[in-house]
Parts: sequence; structure tokens; C-alpha cells
Amino acid sequence: MQFALEYRANLALDLFEELIIVISSLVAVLILYDHTSAINGWTEGQMIELLGVYYLVQGAQAVVFETSFERFMEHVRMGTLDFILIKPVDSQFMISTRHVQVPQFGQIAMGVLVLAIGIAQVGGGFGVLDALAFAATLVCGLLLVYSLLLVLSTLSFWFVRVENLLAIFWSFLDAGRFPVDVYPGWLRVTLSTVVPIGIAVTVPAQAIAGRLELAGVVAMIGGTIIMCWFASWFWRRGLRSYTGASA
Amino acid sequence: MVATLRSLFARRFKEVPAVQDVSFDIDEGEIVGFLGPNGAGKTTTLKMLSGLLYPTSGEVRVLGHTPWKREQGLLSTITLVMGNRSQLLWDIPAADSLRVLQEIFQLSEHTYRASLDELTDLLELEPLLHKPVRNLSLGERMKVEFAAALIHQPRVLFLDEPTIGLDVTMQARIRRFVSDYNRRTGASILLTSHYMDDVVALCKRVIVIHHGRLLYDGALTGLAERMAPHKLIRVTLSHEADLASYGEVVSHEENTTTLKVSREEAADRTAQLVHDLHGQMLDLTLEDPAIEEVIDRVFSEAQVALAAGV
Amino acid sequence: MRQLLRVYRAIFVAEFQAAAQYRVQSVLWLLFAIIRPVVFLAAWSAAAATQGGRIGDMTISDFAAYYVAVTLVSQLTMSWNAYDFELEIRQGKLSPKLLRPLHPLHYSVVENIVFKVATMPALLPVLVLIAWTFQARFATTWGHVLLFVPSVLLAAALRFMFGWLMATFAFWTTRVHGIMHVYDRLVFLFAGQLAPLSLLGGLASIAYWLPFGYMLWAPSEILRGGASIDQALGMIAIQAMWLALSWLGFLGLWQLGLRQFSAVGA
Repeated sequence: MQFALEYRANLALDLFEELIIVISSLVAVLILYDHTSAINGWTEGQMIELLGVYYLVQGAQAVVFETSFERFMEHVRMGTLDFILIKPVDSQFMISTRHVQVPQFGQIAMGVLVLAIGIAQVGGGFGVLDALAFAATLVCGLLLVYSLLLVLSTLSFWFVRVENLLAIFWSFLDAGRFPVDVYPGWLRVTLSTVVPIGIAVTVPAQAIAGRLELAGVVAMIGGTIIMCWFASWFWRRGLRSYTGASA
Repeated sequence: MVATLRSLFARRFKEVPAVQDVSFDIDEGEIVGFLGPNGAGKTTTLKMLSGLLYPTSGEVRVLGHTPWKREQGLLSTITLVMGNRSQLLWDIPAADSLRVLQEIFQLSEHTYRASLDELTDLLELEPLLHKPVRNLSLGERMKVEFAAALIHQPRVLFLDEPTIGLDVTMQARIRRFVSDYNRRTGASILLTSHYMDDVVALCKRVIVIHHGRLLYDGALTGLAERMAPHKLIRVTLSHEADLASYGEVVSHEENTTTLKVSREEAADRTAQLVHDLHGQMLDLTLEDPAIEEVIDRVFSEAQVALAAGV
Repeated sequence: MRQLLRVYRAIFVAEFQAAAQYRVQSVLWLLFAIIRPVVFLAAWSAAAATQGGRIGDMTISDFAAYYVAVTLVSQLTMSWNAYDFELEIRQGKLSPKLLRPLHPLHYSVVENIVFKVATMPALLPVLVLIAWTFQARFATTWGHVLLFVPSVLLAAALRFMFGWLMATFAFWTTRVHGIMHVYDRLVFLFAGQLAPLSLLGGLASIAYWLPFGYMLWAPSEILRGGASIDQALGMIAIQAMWLALSWLGFLGLWQLGLRQFSAVGA
């Protein structure tokens, strides 16, 4: 009983911390807009929407990572991967729900909340097409991030310690809090390709803000399909080399 | 939900005295063992003696100082070794950590060298000093820990479970080292341990603590005498025999019988056995009960006494 | 005093050796330390661009100089002892330290310095790159440089002291990292990482009263020449005052905390 209380107390504290973080980021945006009415064409409400999408994506990324990739890399490190591979499940989707941490869902929830605040701020609502574009590009963005994580995890087959690469990825995540077009050339490119957090957040935010052209949606979907295919191929190659080697 | 929130702010405590009415004096050069089950209060006592804890009442004096004031004068003459716990920097060789300690304790190069040489000799440290600590095995690490703990030649050693987790040979090695050190330097040693062998090998005097109370303070041999009013006679005969008439049969294996007799009657019974069976007797020993058994009995009796409100 | 220096030197050598084994991690940490200011610099630059190139009395070049300064100062003043301390208590490594004739504080001072010395060579070229990319404009005079030295030292000491103040809470609760996260957020808002204090709008007045600004914003402004010499002197005075206050606070809390310290499981 004491343990359960302790656990719930910790949970409450984690969520509270999460709340503080999100609020301070919101305050940051508000302070920025104290001095200007638009940044690169983004109004305050639209920027808040973007912030919401940012936390949504961040939370989703964390959930995905912890349910699939973290375990996988641990198995590789401990040499217990073989047990997993003989199970009749597609190895690429070694999904487990055991390691899900509630704070990540809290982050997603807060992302949705901030998004709602942004939408309210913008006023005028959004059209059905915008909503569809938003959903489609959001899913694409998450798939892009998933693909990147998959590629990084695949590298574990050859280099057991991939944590450093992951750390690089995570430090870039912070840049997703602002639209990718505010960044100088080289950073913008990086955030749109190698570390796709930039477009994973910016494009859906553009969609919900009604700033996305159809061409943009198509490009996003197209790029995502290519990326997913590549990641999957890379994974299978890695798997082949691993199982081949240990035979 | 409310309970959850409240648990964040108001932890409900039950006041449990960790140590009560414990008093003793230890002379210079003594090796004293503290015995007691987990939670008995022996580690608490050790921590009060070393200054890591403040007693709520009472007085503690070590080498003329009050430990919890942590005066420089005292700190450079005492040391604490905790089993399975490292106080050395993990990633660098022990030799480098020792250099830092030299500066902290302000040891002259001469004193430092002499001390290090002696410890290297006693503990066979030669091959270990220049490897990063994390590359050492547990036993090797313990040896190096001792070196770091003793480099300043303290006069009082607090050893908290120093042999825990070590294999049997290493345990014996550490025991030998501690007793050598005591003999060479006359340092006083206070030791807590789970392992009876540690206590039996090193301590002439033991202090038994249970539920925070002092149950016994005196010679180890006296402990058996005081606490276990019986002795064991082990007889090996050339053939099977039923010796139940001589005492309580504790165990019987092939031709060897172990009898339990009261202390007062031990001599008589032994004489009787020799007289009656000397022709068939292959071996006869008179023993104190195993020290573990004594301790166990002490604790269970104490528990009963406490429960009865004695 | 001489003895203390010798101890410091010995610990420095040992810790530097140990740090050399964590080079990769340090570089990665640097990456994160740089991304954050670049993100906000980009945001402010974009905002300024829509306002004709300046916000308040700062042009984009001024912002660039500010954020380069903030990053440098941030690295020079950073302190992480609260997390380490909580870990040390949990691992039982604090007890033996308490029994040696050297206050545990000294170890963390040296560790702190070692990390900064080791990472500075990697940080400087990156800062130069950022300054060049955003065309940073520094209005620094020699007077500013002179005053920067005591200011950054005071800021480092202040941040260190506050870090230790937070760390002593580990004596009472195991959830120090939670407290630290909230504390870090406050630092983020009010220390100048988000924006120079003058641009904080409604929160500016609160910010000037809090100690956080004097950990980052003050020395940064002095370095880039954003504060006049008079203002700089005033900032340094306030820094010294906060340092004294936090030092006293720490001494008191440490004594109380030690009494509370039960070294559970140590």
C-alpha cells in the first residue's frame, strides 16, 4: 500500500514537472510575441499551435522509443537478441507495452492542450481539409522519426554502443520548438533531412494553421514513404548480417 | 487521491529508538566485534562512534574528541571501511587516488612512502596499484580500499562488514591483514560483521546488540559460557551404540554421536563415557556449542524477553 | 591556504585523468549546450527581422553577440552538483568523504573546474562559427573585458553556491532531481537564456530582483558591451551580495542537513 502511494506520488511529481516545463515554454513564446506580431509569417496563435505539435511529437517519440528501441538495443548489448528473433513476430515491430512511462503520455496530453490553446488563440477554427492534412502530415512526421530511430537502432548490429548517436538526435530535438524556417541554411537542411524533427513538427503545424499547400502534403507523404522503405530495407540488411554472422 | 497528495507532504513516522542505553569503553589496541542481526543497531552505533550520526542523548568520545564535531584533529586519526563500498575514484589507478589522500592528510613524502610500502607488503598490492580501480576484481578492490583507508596510519579503525561479498580465501586474507595491522600498530579496531568467522578470528571481545540494546559485552569465549549453558560431547565408537542415557542426543551419524549436556555435568558425563566405553572409543571431544547457535539463541531469547516486557 | 592549494592540485590531476575517459560524452553534452541558445537566437532574429531589424535597442547582430556571450558564460558557470550529491548519498559514497579532513565541497569545486577546462577548447571554435554565421557585433571595450573577469567568477561562484543549496535538500528528500528540474526552469526563464532581461516584458521587474539573472545575464551583458561601465559595476555589486547571501544560506542548511543525515543504507 505504501509502495503504491509512493509510486503515485512520484507520478504526480513527474507530471507536475512536465507541466512546469510546458508552461515555461509557453511563457517563452508569449514573451517573444510581446515584441512582435509575427515571426516569419507565423502569428502568436499559430506559434502556440506549433508548440503544441512539438510536445505532441516529442511525447510520441519518447513513447515509441521506449516501447521498441530501448529494449531492442538492450537485448543487443546483453546478447539476448536471439531469443527475440525466434519469436513469430515481425522483428521490426518488437513492440512492448511494458516500459511505457506515464509522463510521456502526459507530455502528449499537454501537447494536445497547448495545441487547443493555439487554435483558440488563432480563432476562426480550421477546415476539414486542414484537419485531414494535419492528421496525414502528423502521421508522416512520426513515421519519419520512427524511421530515423529504426536506422539508428539498426546500427546496433554493427556498433553495440549507439547511445551517443541517439544523444545527438535528442539534443537536436530541442530545435523543433520553432518552425524550421527560422533557422539558418545548414541547420534548416539538417532538421529537414538527417534529423527530421524540424519537418515532423513544422509541417503538421503549417497544416493546422492553414499554411500548407497541397504540394507540401504530397511531398511530405512521398518523402515519408521513401524514408520508411529505406529504413526497413536497412533493418533487414542489418538483420541478415547479424543472423548470418552468428550462424 | 487525497492520501497520495498527503503522503507527499506528511510522512507518518513511528519513532523507533535505534539504540538505547548502550554504554561501553574500549581501550587502545583492542579489537572489538559488534554482533547483531540486521537492524539491531550495530551500524547505528558504529556511525555514532565515527561521527556520522548525532546521538539524541548521551555522550560519545573517541580519542578525546566528540566525533560528530568532526574536528581535524580527530579525522586524521580515524578511518572508516565499508564492505562492498568504494571510496576511490573509479576510473583512475589507485596509486593516483592515494596521492590525493597524501595531500588531504598532509603526509610528508617520507611518511607516505613508508606507510605505502608497509601496506603494499601486507596486502600484496604491487600489481594492483596502477590499474584503474574499475578493472579490479572485488577482492582486489577491497585490498586497495584498505590501503586507501589506512595510508594515514589511523589509530582507530571502524570496519563495517569489511569481508562481505568476498570469497573465502580473500576473507581469510583480509582477516589476517587486520590482525597483523593491529599487532604492528596497536590501532584500535571496531568491527561489525555477519560472518562469525570474522569475529572468531579477530575479536577477543564482543558486544552484542539486539533491538538497540546491549545484550552482552565481554570475551567471546565467555559469550558461549554465559549464553549457552550446555556443552557438546562428540563420541566416535568402533561400533553402533545407543548413548541416550548419557545425555540428549543431538545428532547421530554412523558411529559418531553428539550429545548435549549441561555445563555442570559435562565433566562428569565425559568421565563416565570414558570409564564405560574406553575400549571401544575411537575419539572423544568436548566442545562449546557453535557460536552461531549461541548467538541465535541469544537473539531469540532476547526477543521472547522483550515480548514479555522484561 | 598553501596546503589547500596542494590538495586542489592533487585532486585536479586525478579528476582530469578520470575526465579524459569521458571525452565523447563531454563533446555530446556541448552539442546540447549550443543548440539551445542557437534555437532562441534564431527565433529572436526572425522576430527582429519582422520589426525592421531591431527589437528594443538590440539588432540581430546584438542578439547574436548576446547569445554567443550567454553560451560562453553558461559553460563557464555551469554546475551540476545537486544531481551528483543526491547520487552520492544514495550510493553511500558521502559517508567516507565526511570522515576525511576535507569538506566534500572542495571535491566538487575541482570537478567543476576540470570539466570546464576540458571542454573549453571544443567550445570556442563553435562559438566563433556561430558569431560569424549571425554576424555578431560586440561593443566590448577593455574596461568591459576587465570587469568581465570578476563578474564571471562571481557568477560561477553564485551558480555553484545555489547548486549546493539545492543539493542540501537531498538530506531531506530523495526527490532532489524533481526540485532541480523546477529550479532549472526558473533559471531558464529568469537567468537570461530565454532573452536578455530587459526584453522579458512584464516579468522583467521580477527578474531584476531574483538572483538568477546575475548568474548568466549580467556577465554576458558585460562581455558583449551591452552594459555601460557604471551599470557593470552595479551588477557586480549585486552579484557579490547574492553570493554572500547564498553562502550564508548554504552554511546554515548544511549544518541542519547533516544533523538530519541518517546515511540510510550507507
